[in-house]
Amino acid sequence: MKFETGKRGLLINILSLIVFTLVWQILVILARNDIFNIPFIRLRDIPTPVETWYALAGSMFTRIYGPSFTYGIINHVYASLVRVIEGGIIAFIIGVPVGIGVGYSKFLGNLFNPIIEIVRNMPPMAWIPLSVFIFVSGGSIFIVFIGVVFPIILNTIQGVKSTDTRLIDAAKTLGASESMIVKKVVIPSALPSIMTGLRIGLGVGWMAIVAAEMVIKSPVGLGYFIWNMGDLGRYSEMVAGMIVIGVIGYIMNISILLLQRRYINWVD
Amino acid sequence: MGRLVFSSVSRKFNNFQALLDVNFEVENGEFVCLLGPSGCGKTTILRLAAGLVAPDEGIISLDGKKIDGVNKECGFVFQEYALFPWRTVKENIEFGPQVKGMTKTECESISKHYIDLVGLNGFENHYPNELSGGMKQRVGIARAYANNPKLLLMDEPFGALDAQTRNLMQGELLRIWETEHISVLFVTHSVDEAVYLGDRVIVMSARPGKVKDIFDVKLTRPRIRTGPEANIIRDSVLKSLSTQIKLASHEYI
Repeated sequence: MKFETGKRGLLINILSLIVFTLVWQILVILARNDIFNIPFIRLRDIPTPVETWYALAGSMFTRIYGPSFTYGIINHVYASLVRVIEGGIIAFIIGVPVGIGVGYSKFLGNLFNPIIEIVRNMPPMAWIPLSVFIFVSGGSIFIVFIGVVFPIILNTIQGVKSTDTRLIDAAKTLGASESMIVKKVVIPSALPSIMTGLRIGLGVGWMAIVAAEMVIKSPVGLGYFIWNMGDLGRYSEMVAGMIVIGVIGYIMNISILLLQRRYINWVD
Repeated sequence: MGRLVFSSVSRKFNNFQALLDVNFEVENGEFVCLLGPSGCGKTTILRLAAGLVAPDEGIISLDGKKIDGVNKECGFVFQEYALFPWRTVKENIEFGPQVKGMTKTECESISKHYIDLVGLNGFENHYPNELSGGMKQRVGIARAYANNPKLLLMDEPFGALDAQTRNLMQGELLRIWETEHISVLFVTHSVDEAVYLGDRVIVMSARPGKVKDIFDVKLTRPRIRTGPEANIIRDSVLKSLSTQIKLASHEYI
């Protein structure tokens, strides 16, 4: 894919967001005034961008409503992010060595491939019911782990397997042992793929955590927040939460891409 | 130091006889070029000498020692450079010394020496993707030399370069070789290159790969590419080679 870059590209980006917001606002207003409606959709019940904005601003920080209080979106973001990072770190620590082993050794490949191939096809959400009763705590971290670990394993395997055999030959003739070859040739050569795996994995993990938080009861987390707001009929806050989820996922993706560009600058 | 001997070496890949009864030697400090039609097993000879593959029959030895497993006393220079893209020029050259467990200062003095020798001063910290083809191959040569080999194995090292750079690099290679005199086995497609560089030129036949003719090039260096003696040798090498190429292409048809 090719994108416009530079000032012109940025201008088009901003324009597209503005047009999207305008269309959203206009459609809801038209529906509320019975001028136009899309059949079978209650457009009038969707909060407008303006209402969403006020809901976002109003629920950003912890509030006290009479005797009870609600956590601010900031707290929910923090709780979800911590879970994704914890699950992501565990997935990275386990996924990278497994991927290297399975990608490099035929024996380990034959040993683990059947398990990987079956388990990776179970979506993280399918694990939620199981994790609800087997984990005393940290069930949602486990769901994130399931989401992150397979993209990491698969991309690491692919990176290891696509190591240029001439580089391995070169290292051999320069006197490198098998373990040196893994450490100094195979791993660096697989690094861009490993980072791609991490990036894709965290994307999946971020989606999984929202789903997990809706089911696995915990008073904080963005998934819990939007579910709870929906229950309470506070749709503006709910949509605000949805947008926050999208924006944070986008920021995570971009940050890893930038890290990759900054530190893996040797790729042709 | 650096006498390579192939005696009665044969090698099959699946059902394809890549090499059959290959005999030749590279004398100590000699520059030998290997010419032949595509698929005649030139690269296989280099890989055998490097110990990256083993022969089915016959013996390959370096200084009387049979090559068994990877030959760590040879330096391999690849056609497409095969530099480690995540390592700078300096780090590429230091790879061999590093895996041998040398200290940082030892590695640095070695890389500095070879960066000077191949003329890459000022590019120590560049990554391969920032270099031209000729410069990449300078790194390739320096990296091979930095391992202090007895024998340099070069697999069409200048094949990917344009004609100008190629001529320049041939001169550079001879200059480096004259400074640090080790045996060289140099595979090429180009008769001009073989006659310009080699003390001897080995012409191979194809399917199965065999040594067909060996030509001595007794010309003093620096050689004149278009000199009459060079032309005479080139002519006979071309004749020897052309029958092989015809034979090989017949089999393809």
